[in-house]
Amino acid sequence: MKSRKFISKLFFYLGIILIVLFMTIPVYILFRVSFAVPEDVLTSHPKFLITRFEFKHWEQVFRSGNLWPPLYKSFIVATFTMVLALIIAAPASYAISRFDRKIKYAIILTLFFTRMFPNVGIALPISVTFLKWNLMDTNLGLVMAHLIEQLPFIAWILVSTFETIPIDLEEAASIDGAGRLRTLLKIVLPVAAPGLAVAAMFTWLNSWNEFTYALYLSLTTKTLPLQIYYYVLRGGFFQQAAYSTILTIPVLIITFALQRYIRSDYLGGAIKG
Amino acid sequence: MKLKKLVALTLSLFVVSGFFAGCAKKEAQQPATLRITMGLGEEEWKVMREDIFPAFEQANNCKIEAIQVESGDVIKKLEAMKQAGKMEIDLIAQDNMALAPLVEKGLVEDISEFRSRIPAEIIPSLVTVGEFDGKLYFFPFRPNVEINFYNEAKFNQYGLKPPTNWDELLQVAKTLKEKEGVGKVGIKAVFDGNTTVQLFEFIRQAGGDPLVLNDEGSIKAYTFLKELWPYLSPDSLKADWNTTNRFIAEESMYLAANWPFGVNVIVKDGGKKEIKAYGGFAGPVKASKVLGGDVLGIPVGSPNKELALKFIEYLMSKEVQEKLASKLGWPSARTDAYGQVEDWQKPYFDAINEAMKVAEPRPNLVYWADVDKALNDALKEIVIDGKDVKATLDKYHQKIEEAKQKAGK
Repeated sequence: MKSRKFISKLFFYLGIILIVLFMTIPVYILFRVSFAVPEDVLTSHPKFLITRFEFKHWEQVFRSGNLWPPLYKSFIVATFTMVLALIIAAPASYAISRFDRKIKYAIILTLFFTRMFPNVGIALPISVTFLKWNLMDTNLGLVMAHLIEQLPFIAWILVSTFETIPIDLEEAASIDGAGRLRTLLKIVLPVAAPGLAVAAMFTWLNSWNEFTYALYLSLTTKTLPLQIYYYVLRGGFFQQAAYSTILTIPVLIITFALQRYIRSDYLGGAIKG
Repeated sequence: MKLKKLVALTLSLFVVSGFFAGCAKKEAQQPATLRITMGLGEEEWKVMREDIFPAFEQANNCKIEAIQVESGDVIKKLEAMKQAGKMEIDLIAQDNMALAPLVEKGLVEDISEFRSRIPAEIIPSLVTVGEFDGKLYFFPFRPNVEINFYNEAKFNQYGLKPPTNWDELLQVAKTLKEKEGVGKVGIKAVFDGNTTVQLFEFIRQAGGDPLVLNDEGSIKAYTFLKELWPYLSPDSLKADWNTTNRFIAEESMYLAANWPFGVNVIVKDGGKKEIKAYGGFAGPVKASKVLGGDVLGIPVGSPNKELALKFIEYLMSKEVQEKLASKLGWPSARTDAYGQVEDWQKPYFDAINEAMKVAEPRPNLVYWADVDKALNDALKEIVIDGKDVKATLDKYHQKIEEAKQKAGK
């Protein structure tokens, strides 16, 4: 019995290790190539481990003038898309979550209906409209375009989050004299923080990585994914790797910053006693 | 605590100002700005910004705003701008393999009335590249041609020489496969425009016409490719103009043709000095390469058309063409412009000029997409499915004829 338990545990951990390796090895290779001496990797039998470091490729990327403007633009656009999406979707989702079940799902389905068309198909007409509004090459234009894409998803995530919060909590707040808005701000939103964090992270990452609208709506200053696309097509192997590695750093920071809000016991304190 | 709040407030202000900065930039745009798009590598941009643009800006009291846009994306951008009635680009440098959609969609100006501005010294075949139905839509700018890269160290190791004809090519492919256990000669067989360039070359080298496709030369070319196929590198199926550089550098291909920008990627950045290049091999009838490169067009509704025309004349001038040849190793569009390249570039520059001698333009057709598909589908059926060459080419000849009739030709 004991040995069976041990074997199943062994397989469990082995599976976890394999999954982790499967996820991290490509990132390691990217990092490895970005610091590689050309002859170590440009061969039919490249070395897996780093034995020598070459900082030239990173230096070239930093000096190219192609890093800071796209990084700044991507950061601004992703952050504003996240903030605006939360401001718009959180109250809306809260209201939807309190509707009757049938109406609630009808609204969610309607929201998703707008996402049934591939981006490539609708990017042109949307870009034409934005161009007419003088939103070409502006951060505002790109934020608005990204909101089109993100709002249905974030609303869906948040409706599910608000649904799980018992209405009794709001009633208790109401008995204590809190108004609707105060209840939402002081009671519901703090309890919904994990869901909000997931939605925020999801929106930020999607906006950070978005390509199609950025391609149509950017001209003089590109976003980071567009700049990587440029390096993939026109740059050398090492600059591609260095640039792509740099792109992952803000993602790691944002994910790390937001993941501490994601907890499974978020209702624990709220529904006790 | 106070410091934390101050930092948070400062960061917030910074982010908010960035959000609106994008909006303000638009209004600060100056009227004498010439906005151009090109698809270039970093080294090429450096030369443009430091050696080409300043003289024109000074002479014409203007500012050139050059934007990196790949050929495929130029179409999307111009389409959106044209539909919105807000053309924000004055001039495009476009890959001559991607011109038909621009003309078909009415995105570029008919510039036939300015034909006289083309200098007499421009290579005549470069002018025809920019013509559709007798009308001129594009000015010549930069000719280009694929060169054949080979791994000199590996060739020496096996006592091989770069093939000069089809028999030698087959022999080299067989030897390398025998020695290495896997094919090391590559062609671009991704069955899209990349493959079309190589198919054009094989067909023409055998004396065929790719637009006919079932003539004697085409049959010879496809038959040869069917024979060669088992000895090719498996990476051929993933090889396009971008990935081929990697396959050559990582030694999964010891011989493959690609555009000369690969010299910078493989030799200069990659440090693979053993990779050499030559002009390529001939077929049973002749040597032939596809004439590629970039041409210059003016988008419909360009806000600075006259300035764009002036800049085009400047780019076609002897002075600029010589600078581009010397600093970037680009072959010149003029017969009277010669460049002095750096020593390490010289063998590659010679290979480009050797290939340029046999370069022929592709025909400009409005039914190009159908021809492209027919050539590639035929190759797929013949080399992968093993179908009969003659019967397959007859079938695709018919498809090209139907497309031609549909286009009213």
